[in-house]
Amino acid sequence: VTLVPQSGVRSELAALLGESKVTSEPAACAAFAVDGKSPACVVYPPSPEQVAALLRYAADHELAVLPCRNATKLDTGNPPQRYDIALSLKELNQVWHYEPADLTISVEPGMKFGDFQYFVARHRLWLPLDPRGGAKASLGGIVATNSAGPLRLRYGSPRDMVLGLKVATTEGKIIKTGGRVVKNVAGYDLGKLLVGSYGSLGVIVEASLKLFPLPAERATFILRAGTLATARDLRRRILHSPLDPLRLTLLDPWAATLVRAGSREPGEAREHEVWIEVGGSTRVIERCEQEVRDLGRAAGSPPQRLARTETGEAEKFWARIADPAAWLKDAYPDGVVLRTTLPIASTEEFLNRAQQEVESESVGLAGLAQVGTGMVTLCLLEPKRAREFSGLVLRLRRAAEDLGGALIVEHCPWEFKSGIEAWGSAGDHFEVMRRVKGVWDPKGILSPGRFLGGL
Amino acid sequence: MLYEYDALSSLRQPDAVVFPRSTEQTVQIVKLAARENLPLVPRGAGTGLSGGAVASQGGILVGFSRMKEILEIDIENQRARVQPGVVNLDLSLAVSDQGYYFAPDPSSQKACTIGGNVAENSGGPHTLAYGVTTNHVLGLEVVLPGGEVIHTGAKFWDRPGYDLTGLFVGSEGTLGIVTEITVRLSRKPEAVKTLLATYDRVLDATRTVAAVTARGITPAALEMMDGFTLRAVEQATHAGYPMDCGAVLLIEVEGMREAAEEQASEIEAVCKENQARAVRRAETDEERELLWKGRKNAFGAIGRISPSYYVQDGVIPRTRLPEMLEFIGEVEKRYGLPIGNIFHAGDGNLHPLIMFDARDKDQSQRVLKAAQEIIAKCVDMGGSITGEHGVGIEKNELMPLIFSADDLAMMHRLKEVFNPRGRFNPGKVLPIGKMCGELRVQVSAGGEV
Repeated sequence: VTLVPQSGVRSELAALLGESKVTSEPAACAAFAVDGKSPACVVYPPSPEQVAALLRYAADHELAVLPCRNATKLDTGNPPQRYDIALSLKELNQVWHYEPADLTISVEPGMKFGDFQYFVARHRLWLPLDPRGGAKASLGGIVATNSAGPLRLRYGSPRDMVLGLKVATTEGKIIKTGGRVVKNVAGYDLGKLLVGSYGSLGVIVEASLKLFPLPAERATFILRAGTLATARDLRRRILHSPLDPLRLTLLDPWAATLVRAGSREPGEAREHEVWIEVGGSTRVIERCEQEVRDLGRAAGSPPQRLARTETGEAEKFWARIADPAAWLKDAYPDGVVLRTTLPIASTEEFLNRAQQEVESESVGLAGLAQVGTGMVTLCLLEPKRAREFSGLVLRLRRAAEDLGGALIVEHCPWEFKSGIEAWGSAGDHFEVMRRVKGVWDPKGILSPGRFLGGL
Repeated sequence: MLYEYDALSSLRQPDAVVFPRSTEQTVQIVKLAARENLPLVPRGAGTGLSGGAVASQGGILVGFSRMKEILEIDIENQRARVQPGVVNLDLSLAVSDQGYYFAPDPSSQKACTIGGNVAENSGGPHTLAYGVTTNHVLGLEVVLPGGEVIHTGAKFWDRPGYDLTGLFVGSEGTLGIVTEITVRLSRKPEAVKTLLATYDRVLDATRTVAAVTARGITPAALEMMDGFTLRAVEQATHAGYPMDCGAVLLIEVEGMREAAEEQASEIEAVCKENQARAVRRAETDEERELLWKGRKNAFGAIGRISPSYYVQDGVIPRTRLPEMLEFIGEVEKRYGLPIGNIFHAGDGNLHPLIMFDARDKDQSQRVLKAAQEIIAKCVDMGGSITGEHGVGIEKNELMPLIFSADDLAMMHRLKEVFNPRGRFNPGKVLPIGKMCGELRVQVSAGGEV
């Protein structure tokens, strides 16, 4: 290992990537701060090969690298143990191999999700995801964090949509896994390791993805549920009905209020609400409406209908439901967002226990449950003091684990992070994961310490 | 002797065959093999088509026919927990009354096991809409070569950490031995419509495939058989396929009643625009089953008319099907061997069947060369060497066609994390550098896809 003084790193990186692709300006570096730590420099490699060259350089000099684009999800994870270089993937922004008739596309990681959706929408296609960060999220970040929101019910997560990846490794190579066709079992499915690895194994420099036809029309219905018991009844009825919803979310009373207001305004107190989005032709949507009406009547809840199109009011609300941290953090700067994954039958019970846990604390709770997939987001709105926060999170995590699930801290003020492991505890598979990390990143330079158990 | 074969025959027998009844017994076997430094090959029903379950280097063959319990059915959570020897179709039958099924449906589903499906990441006709095995597996219990037992994934999605489940699925038993599987159960659709479109020319059938996708319709299944194959099938199964046409498409759409109906009508229109001679709908469940029976037994039917055949599993972008069909026609002529075409057309997964007589040395050589040309063409088109049958010992030397030395080195290093001495299913998946001029494997009739 050759340890290079900070000033030396900057000039060596400039020699490697070009003068304009490296900066150590304090303001630029501060913009990439993670959990209170700023990098010594920010790099903007203009090609996959240069990403690989950068990683090789960083590995040779044991410099810690965090890959990122728009920083929409960097709040998730443990604080980095070390942080020398922010690797911005902004300049990797190309589309390759777009075949609308094959429903496949290959894209570089820096492309923004909003631009991507706009690009494929002209062929009435989409990547049916509602990831954290929404339009501002990047394709690379979405894949690296396996970010999926309510649409997961119908379409799955990035794990199900990635056909192949090109990955820059800390050895300075670009390796390929999978391919560009929709069915492929040649070789080990290394892509699965990268999806959801939060930048801890390698840097995705190209992703080949499956696309889907856009539904002709969409409609959202809202059913009121006085109690969690009614909500559970509704969930069972909906999932056993012929309806094949795109999204299905249970909002607790505070979440229902906040989603509508989009800010801190108290608004009118609401009940639990079940939101259902369906898609298809006019005829299909009419039939869905009838089904929802019948289900609601059977459970004692007449439905309310929201606007029909994707550009309408409903889409604004669904975006808030998909990423509460994005807008809550302005209204509640000390807010905490926890993401729980559970067996789906436990979702209502978990909301119930969470409510009980916060009752004795001076904390507001808004709960949003994707009841068809078991993903539950809890927003703790006034946690105030770090010590209280960590105790409460541990109790909520225990509640989730008792119900057969897991809880991660998706977003919290970084000062709170020292008291809690973001990902929870690992199981008997951890030693294997540690060895997998060792294969990809033997020097531990990629997002060091941020992933499960400090991987 | 019997365990010398799967649907792909090999040339070597295992030294011993064992049938554990539990994870604990599997651990004991694994430890014994470690002590004695013996290869270990897991095996389900032996329906695989790439030699994944044959002990090509001897050693202990671990059969899972006594680990066939469905351990848990949890309908409300849409999950089941099964032992690896559970037959694929048996799981679907067990939950059918409650309106659920297990989505991956390889054509051998009456015999093949879920453990085998996990090892091969099996597909099937309906994976077009619902994804292959990996999209339906959430968790595994795995015995590693040292005898350690680990649990990957969970009943819920996204257990924090690396997706080891996703790495194990499709690793063909080379990373660990799976002793328990947690799968997702899918809800049966309200309505299913099955259509049979017949064509004079195979070219028009392949054009229809791309046109259906381009219309924004995702059928649940979209299968193609050429005239040669369907005549063999019709003689064997009497499914009601017309004997005189150039190709048929078997298309299925499902979902809410209204949605299935609309899609079926649209597909009918697309077929007619592409010169379909006729489009018939299965009116009853019996009729639908009969149409599928013909498709699922196609390989057996070919076996009746040819002493041997070699089946391939290449994948191409589906829009290139017409071009590929033409190319296969040329290969057929050039090598003087009949080729039947039976495709999972909707996802571009080809199963050309090259017919030959294995007793004829010259024919055997020509088969290999013809097969190589077709695979090379798939790769040229941006495709893959295998869509669902796996690599095994059949295609491991073809891996360099689609992966660089660096790609393969990474796979090799990951394999070493789990299986450093290579005793688990040795000689499979990754190339071992022994390209030989003769058929390393000999394919006979009886396999199903």
